[in-house]
Amino acid sequence: MKPFDIHQKGNPRLALFYPIAGCMLLVLIIVLGWRQLAEFNQYKDREELQAQRRIIQPGPRGDIFDRNGKLLVGNRPRFSAVIFPDELSKLRREFRREYIRRVRAIRKAREETGEHIPIDVNQLIWESRSAIVQNYLDEINSIMGWDRTLTVSQLQRHFSQELLLPLTLVQDLDHDAYAKLIEQLPVNSPVQIYTDSARYYPYGSSAAHVLGYVTSTYLDAEEEKLPGDELTTFSFKGKEGKTGLERYFNESLKGQSGGEIYRVDPSGFQHELLESREPQKGNNLVISLDIDLQQMAEVAMGQKIGAAVAIKIDTGEVLVLASKPDYDLNRLSPFIPTSTYQEITENGAWLNRATQGLYPPGSTFKLITSIASLRQGIIEPDTVIHSPKYFRVGRRLFPCHSPYGFGDITLTKAIAVSSNTFYYNTGIQTGIDNIAEEAKRFGLDQQIELEIPFMARRMIVPTKEWKKQDGRGGWVPGDTANVSIGQGFLLTTPLHMACFTASLGRGETHTKPTLVRVLDSESGAPATDHGADLIGLSNEDLQAVYQGMIDAVNGGTAKYTQLPYLQVGGKTGTAQVKKDGKDLTLAWFVGMAPMENPEVAVAICIEGTDSGDNYHGGSTAAPIARVIFDGYFRDRITQIANRP
Amino acid sequence: MSRPGLNFSQFKPFLYLGCFLAGWLFLPPVFKNTLRDTSYEFQAPLWVGSSHLRDVQTTLDLRTRSKNELIESVRDLSRENAFYRQERAKLNEYQDYIGRLEGLLNLPSLPEYRYEVARVIRRDLTAWWERLIIRKGRDFNIPVGAAVVFSGGVVGRVTKVHAYTSDVELVSSPLFRMAARFENDQRPATYQGRIHNSFGQPFGKVSDAPPDIQASSTSPITLVSTALGGTFPSGIPIGTVYRLKPGSDGLFQTGPVVLDKRLLTIQEVAILIPLDSELTPEDEEAVSP
Repeated sequence: MKPFDIHQKGNPRLALFYPIAGCMLLVLIIVLGWRQLAEFNQYKDREELQAQRRIIQPGPRGDIFDRNGKLLVGNRPRFSAVIFPDELSKLRREFRREYIRRVRAIRKAREETGEHIPIDVNQLIWESRSAIVQNYLDEINSIMGWDRTLTVSQLQRHFSQELLLPLTLVQDLDHDAYAKLIEQLPVNSPVQIYTDSARYYPYGSSAAHVLGYVTSTYLDAEEEKLPGDELTTFSFKGKEGKTGLERYFNESLKGQSGGEIYRVDPSGFQHELLESREPQKGNNLVISLDIDLQQMAEVAMGQKIGAAVAIKIDTGEVLVLASKPDYDLNRLSPFIPTSTYQEITENGAWLNRATQGLYPPGSTFKLITSIASLRQGIIEPDTVIHSPKYFRVGRRLFPCHSPYGFGDITLTKAIAVSSNTFYYNTGIQTGIDNIAEEAKRFGLDQQIELEIPFMARRMIVPTKEWKKQDGRGGWVPGDTANVSIGQGFLLTTPLHMACFTASLGRGETHTKPTLVRVLDSESGAPATDHGADLIGLSNEDLQAVYQGMIDAVNGGTAKYTQLPYLQVGGKTGTAQVKKDGKDLTLAWFVGMAPMENPEVAVAICIEGTDSGDNYHGGSTAAPIARVIFDGYFRDRITQIANRP
Repeated sequence: MSRPGLNFSQFKPFLYLGCFLAGWLFLPPVFKNTLRDTSYEFQAPLWVGSSHLRDVQTTLDLRTRSKNELIESVRDLSRENAFYRQERAKLNEYQDYIGRLEGLLNLPSLPEYRYEVARVIRRDLTAWWERLIIRKGRDFNIPVGAAVVFSGGVVGRVTKVHAYTSDVELVSSPLFRMAARFENDQRPATYQGRIHNSFGQPFGKVSDAPPDIQASSTSPITLVSTALGGTFPSGIPIGTVYRLKPGSDGLFQTGPVVLDKRLLTIQEVAILIPLDSELTPEDEEAVSP
């Protein structure tokens, strides 16, 4: 037998291996087919996951306008000097060259010194990258005369978390820097000017609490309904309303995000744009505020702490919602510096006193006591009651604010001069149950639904049950006397009092305020349904209350709201509160005008900050209301006078 | 008769060309750059000479004109001179006034420029709307980056300075970008040139234009330079904008800018050289080939 004859065909000893090899080959073919055909989609998905990246870019937020179309909140461009991802990708050659140069320098140093200088490859890579990027930053530095640096850790963070987003070298460039860099940076430089938007508030601190502010936040990719949910996603920061209208209407104001899907190379750099969708701007919002009137009210309040509210009586549209102290919204955009946050906190300016400030309403509450007494038949419009210097309740003497009392007076006079003893008397006769019921009828214990978040919820209209449940003991007549003049346990907000005044102006029990300028689709007029009941007093009774308010303005406690061309009706109040161990006063005014056909209701509340503050409703709050009435009606009176 | 066979010597030219191209391909970039710049400097005197020749040609051409024509031209010229003298006097008054205000308000002086008038000596057909060459260079201390203007507005920016000539990147070039503003508005926008066909209408593009600016074919607005950019003085016309299109973000508008047609036949320009940035030794070094 020749050598290797054993391998000849037909050797029976090999016959066994043919089917084994055939089977193995068949298995390979089947598996290959399975992978290529059946598992094609699975591998394709894995390839996409590995090689594709999604970028989400937020849409700009919508603008907010006042009722006259004046821009209250808009977007301002925010320029940054950046290196775009595709340019960063092109810089890799420079990174490599710098890395090699550094390695050679170290080797040369080794040779010259004979010392072993270790090479940390990772550190050297990052230092090389940083040096190249710093060179480009230095270009900006030389144009602008700056001395800015980019740390290795900043660059590492960008590469690890935001590689497909622009690498920001300098942000928030002003017009000067923008123009210089646009003109002096070469068109083909990797450094380019990138524009995004920041919220802009043309009126600064005006209506700050109503408008609210936004904070930066990463977008929720799932919410944005963009394709490529399964892909690794990079997101530019979007904006989210944190307070005020910005928060309440966040969904409507925020734009529709755009997105891009890129194919990336194995290092994660951009390679090819596969899909793109433009971001869209959010909806605009027209609100009921009159910014001119708002500013007038804020200027009239000056540095005082408190709130001013003006409401259109027929529609419930809020014309003014001022709260002091306030803050410049532009200082919170694009982000809130810690120092600014602390300053606002120290000033107590975060609180919206118009909707969140809880105060005893003082003598303005006497209007409700009057209505309760009239409803219960305790008094009639012409009932004369003696108003002495003091009113005795049990063993305690409750004083009137006049050292002599007011003698024999009717309801109208009692409202005009704000007699305390008149109301101690009628209030006790009416009873706390009836007074509380009247206050509740006007919604003083209900949370108001307005289109801003965090409305006050803890208003108090005290009753016997409430006092007991609150662990304050049993109800005593002195409590009723206090509540009758708006003191004691009563707590309400300036907005509640403005709504009450507006309801009184319409002869109804409820006003549904709104901050949105909504026009009825059919008539073009604002919607007016407040879903309220009539007050239910006779016209004579109501006129007595109105006349009291008119007399208060014409010669009573609210005379500082007088306007020569307008009949204003109002009621002042001066409440006493204890705060931080100090006895402070609150100056109140509620009123409406014109009394012939009430159109605007106003509520003012100013907080005293020191025991020495000589604040009174008539001298402190009423003049602010006068400014608001004057601001609202002067132009219209002039227009009417000028009509041919 | 037999067909002559292929001779190797027939392919020699292709071989040499191939060798030359291969050699050129592997030459170090420094060598290539030096060669290119040197060749440029050798060619430049020819261009300058031909430019002078054209001037002589124009002069001789003018000499053929009749006396009446010359008299009329001189008369027109003297009228124009008188007008410009008057304007110059007004300008001096304004400058004095500005100087007094600056002194009173302790304001820093506005940047001042001296200007150098230069003839256009060459314009490449391939880069007709991108670059032109002017007849002044280091011999007149022309700095890189200086603004170049003409009677119709912005011409471009000096990008290279040679011994006797300079390259100007034209305002219509895609590589030309400058800060701009609209007439009667101070907010900056970005102007950039576009890609053109040779001899067509020159145009560019304005971007980052404020959203409240309005332009239409019936009421176009002029785009002018802004001093914020640091190269051009404020108010030099760049072009006219007939329409602006708002972007999807609502922040800005973009639109085409129609440039002055005279850029097509421009013969003479003025280079604006900031007085506080005359050439320093470092600049000298930077502009050397």
